[in-house]
Amino acid sequence: MAGGKSALVLCMDVGFSMSNSAPGEEPPFALAKKVIQKFVQRQVFAETKDELALVLFGTDSTKNPLDQDGQYQNITVHRHLTVPDFDLLEEIEHQIHPENQQADWLDALVVCMDLLQTETQGKKCDRLNIVFLTDLSTEASSDNLDVIIENVKKAGITLQFFLPFPLEDKEEGDGERTGSGDPGRGKGLSREQRSGLEMVKHIMLSLDEEDGLDEIYTFRNAVEQLCMFKRIERRPMTWPCQLTIGSSLSIRIVGYKAVTEEKLKKMWITVDAQTNKKDDVKRETVYCLDDDNETEVQKEDIIQGFRYGSDIVPFSKVDQDQMKYKHDGKCFAVLGFTKKNLVLRHQFMGTQVVKIFCARDDEHAGVAMSALIRGLDELNMVAIVRYTYDRRSNPQVGAAFPCIKPEYECLLYIQLPFMEDLYGRQHMFPSLENNKKIAPSETQLSVVDSLIDSMMLVADDENEELRDLFKPHHLPNPAFQRHFQCLHHRAVHPDSPLPPMESWLEAALDRPEVIKERCQAPLEEIKKLFPLTEVEKKKKLKTSAQIFGKDSEEPDAKKAKEDEAEEEFNLADIAEGSVTSVGSVNPARDFRALIKQKTLPFGEVCQQLTHRIEQLLSNKNMQYYMKSITCIQAFREQSVKQGNADLFNSYLQSLKRSIPSRALEVFWDLLVQDAVTLISKDEVEGSAVSKNEASQFLLAEERKEQPAPELVEDTGDVDDLLDMM
Amino acid sequence: MAEWNAFYQNEDEQQEEEEAEFSGGDYKVSGRDSLVFLVDASKEMFIKGEDGQPSNFDMTMQVVRSVYTSKIISSHRDLIALVFYGTEQSKNPRNSFKHVYVYHDLDEPGAKRVQEVDALRREKGAQLAAQTMGSGETSLGDALWCCANLYSDIKLRLSHKRLMIFTCRDKPHGGDSAKDRQARTKASDLKETGVFIDLMHLIKPGGFDVSLFFRDIVSPPEDESELGLQMKPCNKLEDLQKRVQARETKKRALARLSLSLGDGLNVAVGVYATAVAARKPLAIRLYRETNEPVRSKTRTFHTQTGSLLLPSEIKKAQVYGKKQIVMEKDEVDAIKKFDDPGLFLIGFKPMEKLKLHHHIRPSVFIYPEEDEVKGSACLFSALLKKCSERNVFALCRSIFRRNYPPKFVALVPQMEEVDEGRVQISPPGFNVIYLPYADDFRTLDPPRCPSATQTQVDKMKEIISKLRFKYRSDAFENPVLQQHFRNLEALALDMMAPEDIEDLIMPKVDQIDQRLGSLAEEFKDLVYPAGYNPEIKPAPKRKTADAGGGAEKKPKVELTQDELKAHFQNGTLGKLTVPVLKEACKQFGIKTTGTKKQDLIDALNSTLTS
Repeated sequence: MAGGKSALVLCMDVGFSMSNSAPGEEPPFALAKKVIQKFVQRQVFAETKDELALVLFGTDSTKNPLDQDGQYQNITVHRHLTVPDFDLLEEIEHQIHPENQQADWLDALVVCMDLLQTETQGKKCDRLNIVFLTDLSTEASSDNLDVIIENVKKAGITLQFFLPFPLEDKEEGDGERTGSGDPGRGKGLSREQRSGLEMVKHIMLSLDEEDGLDEIYTFRNAVEQLCMFKRIERRPMTWPCQLTIGSSLSIRIVGYKAVTEEKLKKMWITVDAQTNKKDDVKRETVYCLDDDNETEVQKEDIIQGFRYGSDIVPFSKVDQDQMKYKHDGKCFAVLGFTKKNLVLRHQFMGTQVVKIFCARDDEHAGVAMSALIRGLDELNMVAIVRYTYDRRSNPQVGAAFPCIKPEYECLLYIQLPFMEDLYGRQHMFPSLENNKKIAPSETQLSVVDSLIDSMMLVADDENEELRDLFKPHHLPNPAFQRHFQCLHHRAVHPDSPLPPMESWLEAALDRPEVIKERCQAPLEEIKKLFPLTEVEKKKKLKTSAQIFGKDSEEPDAKKAKEDEAEEEFNLADIAEGSVTSVGSVNPARDFRALIKQKTLPFGEVCQQLTHRIEQLLSNKNMQYYMKSITCIQAFREQSVKQGNADLFNSYLQSLKRSIPSRALEVFWDLLVQDAVTLISKDEVEGSAVSKNEASQFLLAEERKEQPAPELVEDTGDVDDLLDMM
Repeated sequence: MAEWNAFYQNEDEQQEEEEAEFSGGDYKVSGRDSLVFLVDASKEMFIKGEDGQPSNFDMTMQVVRSVYTSKIISSHRDLIALVFYGTEQSKNPRNSFKHVYVYHDLDEPGAKRVQEVDALRREKGAQLAAQTMGSGETSLGDALWCCANLYSDIKLRLSHKRLMIFTCRDKPHGGDSAKDRQARTKASDLKETGVFIDLMHLIKPGGFDVSLFFRDIVSPPEDESELGLQMKPCNKLEDLQKRVQARETKKRALARLSLSLGDGLNVAVGVYATAVAARKPLAIRLYRETNEPVRSKTRTFHTQTGSLLLPSEIKKAQVYGKKQIVMEKDEVDAIKKFDDPGLFLIGFKPMEKLKLHHHIRPSVFIYPEEDEVKGSACLFSALLKKCSERNVFALCRSIFRRNYPPKFVALVPQMEEVDEGRVQISPPGFNVIYLPYADDFRTLDPPRCPSATQTQVDKMKEIISKLRFKYRSDAFENPVLQQHFRNLEALALDMMAPEDIEDLIMPKVDQIDQRLGSLAEEFKDLVYPAGYNPEIKPAPKRKTADAGGGAEKKPKVELTQDELKAHFQNGTLGKLTVPVLKEACKQFGIKTTGTKKQDLIDALNSTLTS
């Protein structure tokens, strides 16, 4: 049942024989230490509640509770039963060295048993385990062997042995299981080792007749297996419910989350760079109005609202709760049944697969479920269901697929899309097959065929068995592996840079070697037959930065704002310095810039501007009108600045005259609204227009009924207007 | 139970992350989408169909309405306009065009507009249309010109400009060649400014002949093969809806990546989302006094000195095995980086190796990007064809964004499919299915149960057959979202109460019961013993625990300080329940902001260490 944990004693031989090794081989001590390190590391990062103790034997000193009358000598309890932590890892790294004594490994076993028994008292431990790492070089007295075995059995302790050499020396030809070459075996086993090995076998077989010997490992294998960090394990929670079909048929079921993307439990916390303390850093969020002063608003004065298209609707949490969609809570109700092929794999939604079984210990529910599962399977159909986890969660629509395994039968529940999830995403794409320009030729197709042949990851073995060379679902998540590797490195070596990726991980993520070799030739062929040329893109850098941009935390609104402003900015850049004439894109800005630059005479710049204004006005369109007005405003503003009113005044007057003939009344009205009038004497000394005249100038036009003034001698020909300048 | 709930919360986070993975996309670059509905308001449009079928006009208004409401839910920033032509009355910005009625100019759709479109629906709508607009002369040229003005009056940057003409008249000007010519000129002007013109032609007695006039008006299809694809007029609402929906949004790649076959062979592909969980939009913070939106600013500062901290003055840390491990911020990113974004081919596997239950997130779709690497489409097409023929999928290692760890995906071939009307049902390309890692599987202990006999199975098969229906993925609306938006609509329009929604994912119990008849009882007699009631939980003790659970559990939450310290020293704080931890925090006078277990443990740890 839940809640139990295990207690484990690592019992390591550090005696002098452990440092012996054949030339060019790692001594057993170093390997054993690696095994321990890797193991403890995994425990630390998996954050299990399991407790761990470390007992060393063969130590120069003696420190254990059984040390009495010269018994149990050279055995040290290095660490008592506690949850492993980094202190322990550091101690292993720095404090455990080969020492110069030898100790009886059976004595050490007794010390471990005693430790387990005394230190697990009052704790809820459901597994007791002792792990032995030794080369068995010391002779152990077998006097009390049977008593010891009896006690191990009684206490329910399991044993594991890690040895420098494999168990069976005769089966060497057998290869695979023991690994060929057998390093560590050196020149063969000593007499002590042989008798030790016999004793180990005896112990293990008396504990478990069948599989006892499976719990004896070599150091090397262990290191390989332990190099992965432990996969994250979560205890599945049960979800009891009832499957209903209509109002009268229901089956008691239980659901388990079976597959879901696992995340690291811990988040990064922010600390001060100097003190490394979390408490020195504080984050604060303030709210402000979107005005020029960024006026701050108190949190109490903030209410929530939602967008409904262009409207923002204030909608308090209370109202929202009251008005929101309500339902009866937990349910697994069948809406109907449909053909399996109508539920498309690529339309699976959600992030999980839930396995639905019949309720535990209810055989009637079991029979009913079995009938449903088999019925669906035989008809090749699935159930479409409404699934609600509980009262607080949103209901889903999903499919329940029948799943029949030799060991069990169940339904697999997977969420399906709502109409809203698909909206606007069901696009049409140009046909590939019917397009002659891109259709591959027969030769091209046959090369692709041979590429697929060469890269098949599943192949028939000689034994007619399917062998899969690459199973992602057997791989540990590389992100977690790398994460823990780096954390561990930083914890043990705080000042050195992060290590490179471990080579086993890199290899595990790559194409299998066989495939790499096999696909060489077809790839070459494909290269020849399919020309691929990268299209030069001017804005390449920009687009890729935007696609993979790191500023994804920014709120959307801000982004959009930037887009809209973007064009302006770019133009501003262009306008900066490099303006040589009044362009059509932003004439007012160019005009101002040119006057500032003083490279051209004022009159000429004005002429360029009026030319643009006339062009703009020839498009009878509001946008162009607005643009023209900004030009005229700029014209006026700069003229006042320069103290030259004549050019502006005469242009405006002639413009006014041409209004009726050019049907520009709408435009003129805008000009009147903006009160853009002649420059008067009060503004510029040399102006021939009085203040009164200036204000009359616009007024006169408002009395539209009046016939156009006689002044109109020309018909407002554009060229004439320009000539006047 | 608590843990399941925790999973649910996680799920939200996951989804956010998932979206973050694809956020941005192209949208940023391109500005806003715009769509103009240009609807024929001539008398012909108001003729009712046979057997009480709605008129073409009514059908069009229904489609327009559904586009409005869908846009509000899915992309409220897009601009929509509704313009009628062939009206008696005129209404346009400068009233310079006769017989053109701009009902809505280009703007974001809102509640009021939905209501206004609603008013044009059904019998009453036809009357209203007759009153306000009437039917008159037709000048499509003027109408198009007017639409051009709508576009040019917009100051925002528009990315995608589309105009849809809804009509049932293939000779709108009745042979007036001057008008025809003017319309053609205006149409080509519009097309030149980047407006894509679509024809949604409706049923017309005697058939709608596109070649008479409209062929020169509409934009050429995106590729040659599409020619002739849309030549059949719509006579059903569903068809029209589908056709409009497929065209009204522009497809946007979430990312452009290279699919590497190895050895420098890189095919450019665009990644598209085909289904993304639509969720309630986030609430906007408003200032109580004025209802104007407020912005939030987050600052990081030093607790002691109060000075703002620059990114260089902070680091990141995690605590494991009682030790705080510190890293630079860029190291945290570097850990996640395995490779540059892209898809890398590992090999191929037969389709049956793709297990149904290997599902961790919604799939995406890839299609070649000829604009990025020329020749991509050809190689892609060859791969697609061969994978499909041989019934294999391609296994790839994928990184979709910079600094994202790799995931393995299955590229499942999907050949193009078209329906009888030659409308594409499924586009050609690969569906990208995400595959789980070993960590993502939970170890279960399945209950052992007896199997059913063939008689029992057969009875169930009868039940299954009775309740058969044809599943369509777009048949179910999300009741939670629909209710939310109806509520907002009601508030925005000062309605007394929100419109009722129909919960489409509620089982139709009465119908089911009726269809099953005596089958349910017969099945129960076969599998359940007399007196067995699956509604009653067999473990009554559990029921009482459930009922009184809240009250009973409370006294247990206290823990002495010594006990706590012991837990802390052993590192077993994680064993305690959240209420106990909360109580402990109170005892030590720790103010906690977080409610998650880890937050509480972290808070306790840091207090007890110091």
